Amino acid sequence: MISDTAIQHLIDKLGKENVITAAEDLLVLGYDSTPGLHATPDLVVYPTNSEQVQSVMQVARDYKVPITPRGSGTGLSGGSIPVDGGIVICLSKMNKILEIDEENLTATCQAGVVTLDLFNAVAAKGLFYPPDPGSQKISTLGGNVMEDAGGLRGLKYGVTRDYVMALKCVLPDGSLLSTGGKSVKDVAGYAFKDLLVGSEGTLAIITEITVKLIPPPQDKRTFLAYFDDIRIAGEAVSKIIAAKIIPSTMEIMDKATINCVEDYVKIGLPREMAALLLIEVDGHPAMVTEEAEGVERILKEVGAAEVHIAKDAEEAASLAAARRTALSALARVSPTTLLEDATVPRSMLAETFALIERLTKKYALTVGTFGHAGDGNLHPTVLCDERDADEMKRAHAFYDELYEQVLAWGGTVSGEHGIGIAKKKYLARQIGPGGVAVMKRIKQAFDPEGILNPGKIFTDGQE
Amino acid sequence: MTDKKKLGNFTSENAPEYEDVLQCMRCGFCLPTCPTFSLTGRERSSPRGRVALARAVSEGKLEFTEAVKEEAFFCLDCRACTTACPSGVRAGEVMEICRSQAHQFFPLKHVSKSFREFVLQKMLPNPGLLETSMLPARLYQKLGIQWLVRHSQLLKLGPEWVDKAERMIPELHPPLRPQLADVIPAEGEQRGRVAFFLGCIMTLMYPEVSRQTVRVLTHQGFEVVTPKEQKCCGAPHLTEGDRDTTKLIAQHNLDLFMALDVDAIVTDCAGCGAALKEYEELLEEAGEHDKLATFRGKIKDVSEFLAEQGLRTEDLKPVEKIVTYHEPCHLCHAQGISKQPRELIKAIPGIVFREMEEASWCCGSAATFSLKYTTESQQILDRKLENVQATGAELLVTANPGCHLQLAWGLKQAGLKQEVVHITELLGMAVSG
Ligand SMILES: Cc1cc2nc3c(=O)[nH]c(=O)nc-3n(C[C@H](O)[C@H](O)[C@H](O)COP(=O)(O)OP(=O)(O)OC[C@H]3O[C@@H](n4cnc5c(N)ncnc54)[C@H](O)[C@@H]3O)c2cc1C
Ligand code: SF4
Ligand code: SF4
Repeated sequence: MISDTAIQHLIDKLGKENVITAAEDLLVLGYDSTPGLHATPDLVVYPTNSEQVQSVMQVARDYKVPITPRGSGTGLSGGSIPVDGGIVICLSKMNKILEIDEENLTATCQAGVVTLDLFNAVAAKGLFYPPDPGSQKISTLGGNVMEDAGGLRGLKYGVTRDYVMALKCVLPDGSLLSTGGKSVKDVAGYAFKDLLVGSEGTLAIITEITVKLIPPPQDKRTFLAYFDDIRIAGEAVSKIIAAKIIPSTMEIMDKATINCVEDYVKIGLPREMAALLLIEVDGHPAMVTEEAEGVERILKEVGAAEVHIAKDAEEAASLAAARRTALSALARVSPTTLLEDATVPRSMLAETFALIERLTKKYALTVGTFGHAGDGNLHPTVLCDERDADEMKRAHAFYDELYEQVLAWGGTVSGEHGIGIAKKKYLARQIGPGGVAVMKRIKQAFDPEGILNPGKIFTDGQE
Repeated sequence: MTDKKKLGNFTSENAPEYEDVLQCMRCGFCLPTCPTFSLTGRERSSPRGRVALARAVSEGKLEFTEAVKEEAFFCLDCRACTTACPSGVRAGEVMEICRSQAHQFFPLKHVSKSFREFVLQKMLPNPGLLETSMLPARLYQKLGIQWLVRHSQLLKLGPEWVDKAERMIPELHPPLRPQLADVIPAEGEQRGRVAFFLGCIMTLMYPEVSRQTVRVLTHQGFEVVTPKEQKCCGAPHLTEGDRDTTKLIAQHNLDLFMALDVDAIVTDCAGCGAALKEYEELLEEAGEHDKLATFRGKIKDVSEFLAEQGLRTEDLKPVEKIVTYHEPCHLCHAQGISKQPRELIKAIPGIVFREMEEASWCCGSAATFSLKYTTESQQILDRKLENVQATGAELLVTANPGCHLQLAWGLKQAGLKQEVVHITELLGMAVSG
């Protein structure tokens, strides 16, 4: 529990309207998009500037209260859930874009800016911020940086990490840290910025972010390819990459996903097909033409059932938008959607699909698979009911077996959603006890009292 | 909706279905489209938050508290979240049901209770009475004004809202319902026979609009039947959480219209259309599945109907106007009708159509009153007016009386020149004679 003096202190610094204690508010700020996870904080604060973030952190430090950062709560590993109660600090009201620097091609914004808002603001100036997680219309940049979010364009343009140039943050001891800058090169000391990206809110609270911008591609071509067998789709992805073509997007949806998405968007997706690939090549017009021909040829060679080309930018955008709804649309058919984030070397895609098919049968489950195929990043999603204990057990067994093989292939248990609470037990399996020990020493160095976002990444035994 | 078993801390009467609240996977896709979340930034005032509150109540983790009630009534019921939700969650509807719960948990004080009951149970179901009644009762309608009324109770406001509401009202003409002939023949080659569902607010406040609707329908070759015994669609009752009266009214209208030999039942009020299309679910328990399904299939908003039938444009006069279109929530979000009105507008010769930004963002209905939510309510309307203004349109077209009233008032207040017209008024301008 938090003492009244601490609360009063917060009210003095942030104003009454930004310090929330009503039970109904607390209840709805203890979840994110991860199924089955919920915890209730004791208090929620909405800072509107860096100084206020610092004040809150100092209160947490002085009163030894756990403090958990939250963006928009779209995380898929439970990162923003206050497992030990305490303070939830919502950054969503820090949503100002501070600067778009057209000379240096950078944008600087507060941590609570919504990803799509930044994209639109820079696009209006003829610039391009590529990272586009499926949740872009509501996820915050702070959340993106902390999870190192990927997106539909990851294959060619990389993930959030590749665009972060500078961060301003508040450390658990209440001090400020500024790392990185607008210069494109910087080797002064340890690369804190790179350490902070993907740290899931366990090392510092980010208040300000400077990202790199690039000129948008001049031209693009969007394909929709249908397959009678999902393994052929996997093969197509591997072959396109082996042909040294790097499309900006190569997304996959299996039959279950196609049907759920079509139920929602109603744009005529092929319900009877085993899988589809959404492929986009972009860049200089001459290169687009050449790569488009290559993609088309390979699709024919491997035996795609049908290949369509989007007739205009609008159709291409509607296809990407449809793909972004995949996860939420899968949630139509069952009360619980358990989603995973397995990532394999791309040459193993066809085998991974075969494995998912086999395990689905073995554990008698309904699974919808979609994901960033071009990145080897798949989201096999078990459609289940959290009230059915046996089904949940089978679902977990499914993932255990899947991950064992994914790791054996040199893959990772999390391509982009982070470890959070949901994947703690797999971390040691992947990086070994030595790796975990170093990570913990880093955490210790930043947060000796363990007040910042406790209960994440490491299992209790590891802590 | 089953009314039987008790779900957590809900009462057993008119409770949400557990499946409906469990369906939300908390992705947050609905957040940026929710006007109340956009205003407050508060999770509990978002669709995701509201569903989570309902879930907590149904799981016994939260009592049905004042705050839950407040969220149920603060929700504009604009259904933007339904359109945005890929998982098929209907937060607006869950809140509508919670309003019914709110009345059970927090019975109204005697005076406001009898006023509410008088309006909902006596006036609205009885068009004759409504037409001869006093203005405040006429206002208590599917206008968005009920949003204010809800707040006037919630916020313990005095009766001054009635005063302000009166000032919003356009010049009133005699109600249309008694004037319309039971059957009006089609012009030219007859293409079909339709029943006209004339909403209370249309007959009372926008009789000239509905007159145009009938004129356009007949001009387009449809014989129009208007049964006088029709009652209110039930939307105000549902919105207010009075599900029992809604069911009685719905049954009456269902029987009345199903006895007519018509190809379609057409309405020019988006709120009524949305309510009529929900009869099937509302009356589910009565068991008349085939009849309900047929009824559901016949209900058409006038834009939906005309677009489906194809507009006969041969003898349309050019209308040399620059127009933009505001999508009523109850048309685009509740009924999924978005393309059709635009198709019709563009089919009129001479029209220059300019799409506005955020055309489907709620206009804030009655939220203009400078009462409790002054800033917030003004912000919703301002956002809309700015978008209208940016198009440089001369006419602002819409298709629902609530929006019509709100937008006309807002434009006037802001000293803007645009005129608001219903889509059938616009079509009416193109119909010669
Ligand atoms: C439908 C859907 C689709 C998705 N698609 C993708 C996808 O394509 N790619 C992808 O990578 N992810 C995806 N995600 C996951 C999720 O959206 C991302 O992880 C996103 O970056 C989270 O942003 P958020 O603002 O919601 O953060 P939250 O969920 O609120 O927080 C995420 C983590 O960051 C921490 N945090 C947040 N803000 C700060 C801050 N300012 N300082 C310090 N710590 C902070 C939190 O403590 C938590 O650990 C998807 C999620 C959904 C629901
Ligand atoms: S209501 Fe729908 S869109 Fe909103 S959070 Fe729930 S599932 Fe997502
Ligand atoms: S109906 Fe409108 S106001 Fe209510 S939760 Fe949905 S989007 Fe928000």
